Amino acid sequence: MEDIYAEMLQKTAAGDQLAFKQLYEATSPKLMSLCLRLMRTEALAEDVLQEGFIKVWEKADSFSPGKGKALTWMSTVIRNKGLDKLRSLKTKAAETEIQYEGLEFSSADLEPDSLENLSQDIKGLMDCLDKLKPDQRECILLSYYYGHTHQELANKMDRPLGTIKAWIRRGLEDIRPCLT
Amino acid sequence: MSNIKNNKNNKNNIKRYQNPEVFEQLAIEYAVGAMQGRARKRFETLMETHFYLRAVVDAYENKFASLVELLPDAQPSNQVWNNIEAHIQSSSSQSNQQKEKTPWWSTGFFKQGFGLAAMALVISAVLLLNPMTLTPEATASLYSAVLESDSHEPMAVTKIQKSDMMLSFDLMKKIDVADNMELTLWCHPRKGGEPMKMGTIAKTGKTMIKISKAEWKTLKNVGRLTISAEQKNVNIKQPKGNMILQGQLSSSS
Repeated sequence: MEDIYAEMLQKTAAGDQLAFKQLYEATSPKLMSLCLRLMRTEALAEDVLQEGFIKVWEKADSFSPGKGKALTWMSTVIRNKGLDKLRSLKTKAAETEIQYEGLEFSSADLEPDSLENLSQDIKGLMDCLDKLKPDQRECILLSYYYGHTHQELANKMDRPLGTIKAWIRRGLEDIRPCLT
Repeated sequence: MSNIKNNKNNKNNIKRYQNPEVFEQLAIEYAVGAMQGRARKRFETLMETHFYLRAVVDAYENKFASLVELLPDAQPSNQVWNNIEAHIQSSSSQSNQQKEKTPWWSTGFFKQGFGLAAMALVISAVLLLNPMTLTPEATASLYSAVLESDSHEPMAVTKIQKSDMMLSFDLMKKIDVADNMELTLWCHPRKGGEPMKMGTIAKTGKTMIKISKAEWKTLKNVGRLTISAEQKNVNIKQPKGNMILQGQLSSSS
């Protein structure tokens, strides 16, 4: 599948503000969704989205189309901003907006219509994740989307901390050969 | 005493991070967000100095980042874009102001008539003493590249430093080639043409190669580095064997 955002990002790197606006309009709904899950409140999510897009504007020239898709590059930039922010806040925001929980959107049984719009990259990754035990898969996805610490996962899944650590470690060990 | 112990621990830690089995697992934990707190911070510090850690983390981050495609859309408020736009406008007007500030060629000295001759003298001196300063690459003091296999797996890191005029080449995984073959490093000009042969690389671990001033100067025109497997004891000027690894050379000051 063609990378529809790569050209906009490359024009952004050349200082084209119109291309950057088009890129923002096209990608911000997905990236806002990621920020909401990571930060749990709209105010913090919007802060991270804003800071993340400013970084995208400043660092667009370091995007290399040969190494991956524009959206994945941008989501890494923005997610790392979010993780930095969570670390600087020390604790998660006390106010958690409850609708940003759960993993229904990443269900292994997606409708054929939804599957059609997905890239080969995500289809490959989902195949790898489906090889894991359900608990391992859940821990890894909750870590990715929500930035949960091991302790938070232990509380959420009502399991001992050691079990959670082992699930994640073994899950990632198992998934590595499939990813490379 | 405790300093000696700390140094020993640090060295052991660094060795541990150079073991592919260990650092690949740590890299994937970092990429997925399962490495947290002080461990995450320590790993980030290590990534600043060990390019191969950064390269492996980048590769895993890229794999997991496609998870964003599964998320349902959520529209941010208009205020977010307004703030981004305001930031861009203000930073671009600041940089324009900086460009406009102190245009030294239009100062009183040059306006008074005896400027052109003096300016020609200054430019001649700059050209004579340091011809490289007129190119953006001129300020580079370090070149580096991560070399990947055909399957885009990071396999080696190379650094070329002006301070000691040494090229260091770190192979993270052993490359199996026949006994009568050797690994050769090539620098390919960005605009095409004959590659420059840099030397033979050990099949495992670190190789150090002394480079000449002429080679250092040529690096500013180099785009791609490759490793090919060549017949031992055969003097060649261009790669003849299979290309095993390749990567883009980048510069930093």
